[in-house]
Amino acid sequence: MALEDYRNDMETCRRCSACKFIPLEKVKGFQLVNVCPSISRYNFHTYSAGGRLVNGVALLENRISFSDKFLEVMYNCQMCGACDVSCKYAMDMEVMEPIYETRIKCVEEGHTNPVLDKVINSLRKQGTMVPGARAKRGDWAAGLDVKDCTREKVDVIYHVGCLTSYDKDMRKVARAIVKLLKKAGVDFGIAGNNESCCGGRAYQMGYKADFLNQARKNMEAIKKSGAKTLVTGCADGYQAFKVLYDKFDLKGSLEVLHITEYLDRLIKEGKLKPTGKVKMNVTYHDPCYLGRLGEPYIHWQGKEIPGHIRVFDPPKEFRRGTKGVYQPPRDVLESIPGVNLAEMDRIKEYAWCCGAGGGVNESNPEFSRWTADERIKEAEATGAEALVTACPWCEKNFSDAVKTSGSRLRVYDVVELLEKAI
Amino acid sequence: MTLTRDFYRALEGIVGPENVSEDPVVTESYSFPIRKATMPDTNVYMPRFEAVTLPGSTGEVQAIVKLCNRNKVQYKASSTGWLYCDPVGPNCIKLDLRRMNRILEINEKGMYAAVEPYVIGAQLQAECMKRGFTCNLAGAGANCSALPLAAHAGLGHLSQSGSYSERNQLALEWVTGDGDIIGFGTLGSLGEWFCGDGPGPSLRGIIRGNTQPLGGLGVFTKAAVKLYHWPGPAAFPMEGICPQYVHPEIPSGFMIRYLSFPDIDALVEAVRRVGEAEIGFELMGFNAAMMASNIATDNDEDLAYLKQFTDHIQGPGFLLIIAANSPRDFEYKSRALQQIMEETGAWSLKDVEDPVIGAGFMWRFIRVTGSIRETSRATGWGGGTVGGTDVFPLMTRYILHTSDLKQDLIDRKLIMDDGIYPFIQSIEHGHAGHGEILIRYNPAGPDHIRNVQGMLTREANRTAIQGRFGVPHHTYSDALHDMYGPEACNYHLLLRKIKKNFDPSGSSEASLYITAKE
Repeated sequence: MALEDYRNDMETCRRCSACKFIPLEKVKGFQLVNVCPSISRYNFHTYSAGGRLVNGVALLENRISFSDKFLEVMYNCQMCGACDVSCKYAMDMEVMEPIYETRIKCVEEGHTNPVLDKVINSLRKQGTMVPGARAKRGDWAAGLDVKDCTREKVDVIYHVGCLTSYDKDMRKVARAIVKLLKKAGVDFGIAGNNESCCGGRAYQMGYKADFLNQARKNMEAIKKSGAKTLVTGCADGYQAFKVLYDKFDLKGSLEVLHITEYLDRLIKEGKLKPTGKVKMNVTYHDPCYLGRLGEPYIHWQGKEIPGHIRVFDPPKEFRRGTKGVYQPPRDVLESIPGVNLAEMDRIKEYAWCCGAGGGVNESNPEFSRWTADERIKEAEATGAEALVTACPWCEKNFSDAVKTSGSRLRVYDVVELLEKAI
Repeated sequence: MTLTRDFYRALEGIVGPENVSEDPVVTESYSFPIRKATMPDTNVYMPRFEAVTLPGSTGEVQAIVKLCNRNKVQYKASSTGWLYCDPVGPNCIKLDLRRMNRILEINEKGMYAAVEPYVIGAQLQAECMKRGFTCNLAGAGANCSALPLAAHAGLGHLSQSGSYSERNQLALEWVTGDGDIIGFGTLGSLGEWFCGDGPGPSLRGIIRGNTQPLGGLGVFTKAAVKLYHWPGPAAFPMEGICPQYVHPEIPSGFMIRYLSFPDIDALVEAVRRVGEAEIGFELMGFNAAMMASNIATDNDEDLAYLKQFTDHIQGPGFLLIIAANSPRDFEYKSRALQQIMEETGAWSLKDVEDPVIGAGFMWRFIRVTGSIRETSRATGWGGGTVGGTDVFPLMTRYILHTSDLKQDLIDRKLIMDDGIYPFIQSIEHGHAGHGEILIRYNPAGPDHIRNVQGMLTREANRTAIQGRFGVPHHTYSDALHDMYGPEACNYHLLLRKIKKNFDPSGSSEASLYITAKE
């Protein structure tokens, strides 16, 4: 599908502005009604999903060009998908897909952001979205005695992800996951230095060819390993393996689970028993790519039935964020004795983004931080001592923001708390 | 025409460089490029503004307005901006009021709230409900501004018990076309919000009447709106993930029914009696198509529900919500309704009686979240014709005439066949009414739109004039005012004088209002 293929979707926008707000049924007051970081930060309609769709059509009709302003607007979006959910409360139209395709078109026609190019160069050279990484990808596992899934047969592959592998502050999460999986007796392995980026973030940034290259490479290695299940602790990785690989018919029968889904399963099967008390009031942040964008891809091929209401043959089921992963991380948290979960106002399918996605973390750190700061204020308002999430990008962005904002919140991944209880 | 550098720098000086842009990427997104290829004429395709500004205060609005007046540049303001509805020519800038988004006051004792233009209905209603109040949201949706002038005529789902904007608007702050700031009523004399008519200048009739200026008479920067008693919870309990929200229960003291009638006379009689008994919290004459769209989460479901509901109604109908203040009040209202139903031959749609389905309908109608579904989901394109606001039976008769026009369009397969019963709403317990015919269709090209919307508008106007049905709310333009004015005491001449007096240089772009042309 190309941008042109979404013309009808883009032209279905009625500028109702629902894409700017949380689903209107859920509004509980004046505060925290906004859902899109981009329009909330920059205010011009241009930065909303509606504005992006208008400009998508304008681009197709050559009324605007790939100007610096166009690129600035386009890349100041975390691709968090909140607009898609709020629009599709009422409408049958694609919102995120044409926004993805606009980015892809930019990259394919050579209109890129130099900062993101640098990130992609790192992907091309080192297989990671963490530019300048000097350590080896598998160094984090030193001394843990984890099976190498490229050499030994395992039931489950643990795909660690770029940030967790390379960022020294995040390696604790990978080590916690290893301990938990071992405790549960799971036959798992890692690819260590041979692991490569899932490609998901590259796709978010519009580098589709690079994403596909990574996807094919990864699936080849996974098939070779014989593993039937892949577990990842990264929301971006989860969405890439589960949704994007499926979208491009690369996933096959591979079962893809986020670590919180897998741990939830292990706890419910009695293979993990959180007994240690972790006395802590926490709030949980839904990562966009685990929650609303983590719902399975829905394959559909057909055509629109001509007429005065937009229906399809066969019927087309739109992805609306309804079937994302929302409950497993909460169930894991609630299984931990002493943990008290207090919800923020914007949760699940209408959660506010952490700010790190879509390349914004790299291309506009100030905007990324502003977005995280908004969430931290929301988390603090719950009275929680800790903000818990399930994605290293979220954890990293929040941790950095907490340091600079002076917030007393501590930031954890769900697995870190579970590890304390096991 | 591009703006002079001095003018643009002055704009930057007023709102800050980050809050003004003339980049085509920004101005394009405020124009109306969607379906340009299918538009009937270039007048409907909206050219770009010369620049877009984001004022953050009344002072900034005033400074921009005065700057425009000095430099003979036109301006047009809007807030949430449903649809791309700014038909501007060259030499016009936009004031997007998005940064003016504060609730200034909720006065529980005085039962009013004062807001800036970019507070949306959902926000104000939610804050009010926490305090035991509610407000009449624009029927267009909770996504629209809560500032009472920003809506169409300010008709909403609560109009049965919560009136409409002409009455609900209290004190108001207005930056006139040439840049004066006027505080209406108590705002002008006491700096308070509780009354729009005095002590202090009483100018409500100047800035609105049958229709409002739609950005053509300066900028309304703050306004107070009446609040009404809310006997329900701060929010309905909800479960599930969007859009599959489930509302497990109807709050105590509330009831919802969809009633259909053997004919329009029985419906009108039932509306009269419901009003007389004062049992209705909301009474909205939704047809089966609107009910179906409201509950359906996609177009396939919409069609299925439309069939289901159509099969189970006997004729035109309305949705009624009862909200009681005590068990005795609920008992009275329930019994009165039962009697009215028996005496008018009403059928109650069983689906709506289901506690869970009914609770969902109730919350969506109270929060006004279904309007986008009802008007836009089918193809993203819709239309129709609206009446004015007048005596309920008169407005009912008017809109029924236009039903025949819709049937003709359906027969010619130019629009979706979703039934021809109009949408009629009761206002102030039946004292007044308003009707609309909504159509949904896939525009295949300029001729198609001309044949559908063009014919409907033309014939509806003819019906309104020939049948003496009064001036509809869709009188947006010199041409329409010039057509209706001679039929209605030459009101258009007075309207022109108002425009000329408060905007002598015509800076406030008025192609959706009236210009001061001689």
